[in-house]
Amino acid sequence: MRGKDVRLQDVVMRFGGFTAVERTTLTINAGEFFSILGPSGCGKTTILRMVSGFIRPSEGKVLIGDQDMGALGPARRPTALIFQNLALFPLMTNWENVAFGLEARGVDRKTRRDRAFDLLALVGLQGHEEKSPNELSGGQKQRVAIARALAVEPAVLLLDEPLSALDLKLRQYMRAELKDIQRKTGVTFIFITHDQGEALTMSDRIAVMKAGVVEQVGDVDTIYDNPRTPFVATFVGENNVIEGRVTATGDGFATVETPHGMLRGRDQDRLSVGERAMLFVRPERSARVNGVAPDNVFDARFERRDLEGSFVNLFFKAGADSFIVHEANRGGHGGLEGAVKVGFNAADAVVMRAGEIEAEADDA
Amino acid sequence: MHELLRSYGRTLTGVFITLTAFWMLIMILLPQAFMIEHSLWWIDRDDQLGMRIDRAYSDMGLLEFDLGQADTPEGKADIQERIDGLKADIAAMEAEETAPPKHYGFDNYTKMSALHFEIFLKSIGYSLAVTILALIVCYPIAFTIAKLSTPNKAALLMLGLIVPYAINELLRVYAWLMILDYQGVINSLLAWLGLVSFEDKSWVPFLEYSGSVFVALIYAYVLFMIFPIYNTVETLDRNQLEASEDLGAGVIRTHLRVVIPHAKPGIAVGCIMTFMLSVGSYSVPQIMTRGKSGDWFSQLIYRQFFESQNWNSGAAYSFSLVLVCLGFILIMMKVFKVGIRDIAK
Repeated sequence: MRGKDVRLQDVVMRFGGFTAVERTTLTINAGEFFSILGPSGCGKTTILRMVSGFIRPSEGKVLIGDQDMGALGPARRPTALIFQNLALFPLMTNWENVAFGLEARGVDRKTRRDRAFDLLALVGLQGHEEKSPNELSGGQKQRVAIARALAVEPAVLLLDEPLSALDLKLRQYMRAELKDIQRKTGVTFIFITHDQGEALTMSDRIAVMKAGVVEQVGDVDTIYDNPRTPFVATFVGENNVIEGRVTATGDGFATVETPHGMLRGRDQDRLSVGERAMLFVRPERSARVNGVAPDNVFDARFERRDLEGSFVNLFFKAGADSFIVHEANRGGHGGLEGAVKVGFNAADAVVMRAGEIEAEADDA
Repeated sequence: MHELLRSYGRTLTGVFITLTAFWMLIMILLPQAFMIEHSLWWIDRDDQLGMRIDRAYSDMGLLEFDLGQADTPEGKADIQERIDGLKADIAAMEAEETAPPKHYGFDNYTKMSALHFEIFLKSIGYSLAVTILALIVCYPIAFTIAKLSTPNKAALLMLGLIVPYAINELLRVYAWLMILDYQGVINSLLAWLGLVSFEDKSWVPFLEYSGSVFVALIYAYVLFMIFPIYNTVETLDRNQLEASEDLGAGVIRTHLRVVIPHAKPGIAVGCIMTFMLSVGSYSVPQIMTRGKSGDWFSQLIYRQFFESQNWNSGAAYSFSLVLVCLGFILIMMKVFKVGIRDIAK
């Protein structure tokens, strides 16, 4: 295991009067694939730059493998950064790019050339060693950047949305590739992204950030199934939101009075009666009701349907709220016009204290 | 051409092309052709010719006297024959004097005196030194403005660089003269510190060193070096600098391996401009040295034209300089491995 753990202790980052990162304490375990997920401007890149050493936190400490990084510059930290635009050196050949970190460490030409060729082979780029990065495709450039970062044998690899410039197919392929490289090398990966799908597919654990605050840290299942805040619930994956007031609690469940009647869900925040609350339920855990009724049922009007391929998005309107149901595409989604009943099981819904939700439509 | 017609219409295209053609022909081709033509011929003016004509006339006076004194017809005829011969000679010599024979060839280039050739080489050497010094001074400035400062600060620095150029070049050179003169700013300062004394003339004779010309030339052409370098460095992705740092490279390696290769075209253009302007500069060496530390080649050319009235060798001298500049451009392109198109950018 080559990776080292990264700890942020009471880190605060201010730029003039603007606080980019509020007081944060975060531990990233050695050898894990850790994603920092959040919308643009949430401070995730600032955290990355503090770990890599390009900026020093206004307060607090950054420790890598129990060692306080203090004022060490990027050159002297056991980290390597893969830039969003990759920042390959266009006037060097691919192998020179990969060997650049070794060159800076005074490794002789033959050794570093061999090492660079090995690494390029590892990422599947044999035969491209003497070419310029500009002669490569987007995905190949990506792999040169990975090889270049790995060449300096970092304990922590920092990735700043490196997949965002690729097209969908390639992005999916590179996700698997990155995960594979991470597993093979055992290096700690810190992956910055605004794409929740990317974060969910690749990560061991995720930190979700909003406006300089880490809202929740957890493994992917926890983040998806047990979001702690309304923001996390709506930013990660899709969620139906229904607002209301708590009328009863007990057995870990809360009943909420909503415009659509009494609805029940898991009480996550130990709410008290009378509090304003939000109920979240995933579209794929919601259903049209015909036959066996789930715990919660209410009336809705069918609006439209979007075919996604393997599943269908059904859009309903219940009063002012929209309600989305994902149905597996088994054909025959007709006969939906007019009023229908929709519902979900209480165990699949989360009730929490009302708060700010992700305003924009998810881009995943 | 077709594109132009489509974008600007017939009238504007006509104006563009006429102006360009005028500029090419009148400002570049014709003067150069004139220079080259003049440098390729010389007038074979015989220094002794005037004296020989005078002597022939006095000989003829003697002969005419002899003719009057001669007493035999044979003697008369003999003298008359000599007078006729002499008249023909005089006519030929006078014809040569009014229209001296014009010879074509490379003599104007090959007959440069050893002293002039030495000055020629020295001027090239000095200009190279100025170019290198200017590069050393300007590269860090250009890099700082382009990459290390905030946009506001960069604009301010740029303004600071440009402001002195609002003053006439001669005045800027005279400013340096005032600074470096025997009783100039620096020497006054040294005198005030008690290091030199004006009374016993123990001042530092800055103006007698070629260095003073270097300083003034670098100052005069600093922008021509900074701007091209700034323009190329500016286009360098900041992430490249960070990537280099992140991979463990120090400042020097980052510059050698990342910044300078990227800035090559700018450096080449800056060097070419500075070199050409320095080697052809007349006012700076003229003012700064005041004849105290030897001529520059540009001053020699000036003298050929305006003091010796020898346009032919003046043309040859200045065309040699053009050739040196062309050679310099080609060498720079070779050394920096940049093409004409990179430079034109």
